[in-house]
Amino acid sequence: MRRLLAILAVVAFASAAQAHQLNVFAFVEDGTVIVETKFSTGKIPVSGEVQVLNASSEVILTLPLAADGTVRFPLDVEAATGGMMIEVTTGEGHSDYWILTPEDIANGSGS
Amino acid sequence: MKSIFTSTLAIAALTGTTALAHYGMIIPNDPMISQEDGRSVQLTMSFSHPFELNGMVLDAPVSFSVTHDGETTDLLGDLVGAEVMGQPGFTLDYPLARPGTYVFAMEPQPYWEPAEDSYIIHYTKTYVSAFDDDEGWDTELGLRTEIVPLSKPFGLWEGNVFQGIVMLEGEPVPYAEVEVEYYNEDLEATVPSELMITQTVKADENGVFTYATPTDGWWGFAALNTAPETLAFEGVEKAVELGAVIWVRFEEWDD
Repeated sequence: MRRLLAILAVVAFASAAQAHQLNVFAFVEDGTVIVETKFSTGKIPVSGEVQVLNASSEVILTLPLAADGTVRFPLDVEAATGGMMIEVTTGEGHSDYWILTPEDIANGSGS
Repeated sequence: MKSIFTSTLAIAALTGTTALAHYGMIIPNDPMISQEDGRSVQLTMSFSHPFELNGMVLDAPVSFSVTHDGETTDLLGDLVGAEVMGQPGFTLDYPLARPGTYVFAMEPQPYWEPAEDSYIIHYTKTYVSAFDDDEGWDTELGLRTEIVPLSKPFGLWEGNVFQGIVMLEGEPVPYAEVEVEYYNEDLEATVPSELMITQTVKADENGVFTYATPTDGWWGFAALNTAPETLAFEGVEKAVELGAVIWVRFEEWDD
């Protein structure tokens, strides 16, 4: 998890300086991971790529962002051990991430 | 900039109580909670003279709530009694479920102030941003009296101006008087004159006031008006001061 956080710090630096910053938020509800995105202006990105990384920083899933700025996928409890990073890139250098900690996952996994 | 304060004479400690302004206080551990900070915010509620760290009793409030994304939640039953500045106050550890701005607001019980021969009711609030999302930073709660921010009430640099509109009973208050005071948390700040403990500005004809802070830290803005009604004290009707208080933190400019 510490390694994951170190990588994320670099990602955060890359995205923090943009005027129209992308914000990513993710949570788990009844065994489903729900990812929400929006720009700091309040607008919703209509396309983008979502990468899901495990605690070893391995990409375990790549999905397109839906037109409403969200994406949903079933929680893989085994792959999520140690937490997950949800990284979203919308083009033109807009990217952001959300860390689902083991506590976040436990709180929403329904287990 | 802070050194200018600390190098001046420590007159504040010698002053009496006549010049001190009262402030309801809601102070978060951080007004901008990032995901790396965790998933909750810790709040400390008190009633004080914040420059002198002179605490007063904060009885159980009439109401305490949080507003987020247009929804207001009663948190009165979640407050935990605590000693703040040597007097009874409250704390709250509030979980932040989603991004956005959370506005915490408190209506205290009327406080009898014999020195002013009146009651004081300070409607107090503060704004907390969760997870780098500032949506809702200009939320108006519709309190009986409140300062509606025109400057984003978090993420300000020291030296920035803060602007707000003074509202009373849903209407702007032309030329409202606004008292401004620094929360002197470590008692390092001193003043060359007690007149400088509480700064005073007036709003313009639209109820808009402006103040530039000289240093980083928490600053309280209190717009004061007198209620049309009175309250009885020992059988005698007394005036009621209505305060619209907002607490705003200014961040250190580190270049």
